[in-house]
Amino acid sequence: MSLTAIGAAIAAFTGLGAGLGIGIATAKATDAVARQPEADGKIMKLLLLGCALAEATAIYGFVVAIMIILFLG
Amino acid sequence: MEIKEVLKELLLEDKTLIHMPFGNGNCDFNKSIVLSWVFILVVFILILIFTHNMKVHNISKRQAAVEGFVLWIRGLAVGMLGEEGKDYATYIISVLVFLACSNVMGLFGVVPPTMDLNVTVALALVSIVMVEVAGIRSKGVKGWAKAFAQPMAVIAPMNVLELAIRPLSLCMRLFGNILGATVIMELLKHLIPVGFPVPFSLYFDIFDGLIQAYVFVFLTSLYIKEAVE
Amino acid sequence: MLNVNLWNILWTVVNLLILYFLIKKFLFGRVDEILEKRRAEVEEASKAADEMIEEAKKAKAEYQQRIELADEEKEQILADIKKQGYDEYERIVGEARKKGEQIVTEARHNAEVENERAKEVYAAQLADMVVEAASKIAATKHSTAQDRELYDKFINEAGAGK
Repeated sequence: MSLTAIGAAIAAFTGLGAGLGIGIATAKATDAVARQPEADGKIMKLLLLGCALAEATAIYGFVVAIMIILFLG
Repeated sequence: MEIKEVLKELLLEDKTLIHMPFGNGNCDFNKSIVLSWVFILVVFILILIFTHNMKVHNISKRQAAVEGFVLWIRGLAVGMLGEEGKDYATYIISVLVFLACSNVMGLFGVVPPTMDLNVTVALALVSIVMVEVAGIRSKGVKGWAKAFAQPMAVIAPMNVLELAIRPLSLCMRLFGNILGATVIMELLKHLIPVGFPVPFSLYFDIFDGLIQAYVFVFLTSLYIKEAVE
Repeated sequence: MLNVNLWNILWTVVNLLILYFLIKKFLFGRVDEILEKRRAEVEEASKAADEMIEEAKKAKAEYQQRIELADEEKEQILADIKKQGYDEYERIVGEARKKGEQIVTEARHNAEVENERAKEVYAAQLADMVVEAASKIAATKHSTAQDRELYDKFINEAGAGK
């Protein structure tokens, strides 16, 4: 039981990468908007896309963690 | 261990709704299919209500809203697809409507159809087929086959792999997001059933669902745009 | 949770296609029809407006031409009138000059006639005077002195009569 919990926790570490990625993307987007406020819409769209892509890794980790708990626990 | 019970109930339940007496369970209809029928019917009725009795002059507010909506959503799709890929705008819009409707199903207390892997796999397969069809239609079979060796021949295996990776990533991202949102919502509802889940429901059911629908459509149109160029 | 079933995938694809055709036929088909009709109408209206503008331009050009013609005519008339005025002036002045000359000639003539007449009168007077003087001389006994005086008197009288 405790080992499956540890496995799920390790799987949840994917959130680290996703958080870093989204943070960096948002920082750059803020920079870009500050530099070119007129490109607001385009940057927003790209940021949204990038965030969704980065978030996907966290989602994968989440799914894996749930599977570990469900099937191994 | 009640949380585990909740998860088991949510994730391991039997998804089959209509059992067919033949086919050894292979021809059964999942809940997601029936739910899709329901929201397709609702969308159809809404469309009929909104588009009946359209006039050229002296338009009603209802008609103005429909026209504005159609122009807006088509502009959105064409903006994502580019001018060359605007033949696929209707397909993109119907996928968007399908996903938006099924993702916000969680609001009505049912499991969203997109939480069924069958649905997301089907959508991803249709998407990749559309992407390749778009490539073949605009470049011809030869040009389409040659495009795998772009920009250099060395990465041709990567491009072929992308044929599998793209739909897999599309389907898994959608499935995982909706699964995650639904699981979190179920857990919240289990912890505090009244009032507390409302703002989370706003985020997970509406915002996240629509964002995921948009992302799916955005990526599909990005691939189509790349294929027709 | 992860079991995938071919039939369900197929049904989802069918659902998507159904939604696609519903949206294409009923939403976009109907709205596009209306938009197309409206566009055709607008095009027609704009074409009619273009035609009208063209017509108006033509009419304007025509009027412009007419106005130019009128301007020319006006100038012509003005020139004519001016010319006429000059002619009239010339004529009047010429007439006046002629008349003046005539008057002057007449006056000169008159003066000459008058002069002539005066001369004649003077001559007649002189003749009368001579006759008178002669008769006086003839009537009186006369001496040389008396004669001289008489001549002087005559001469004086003649000088005065002149």
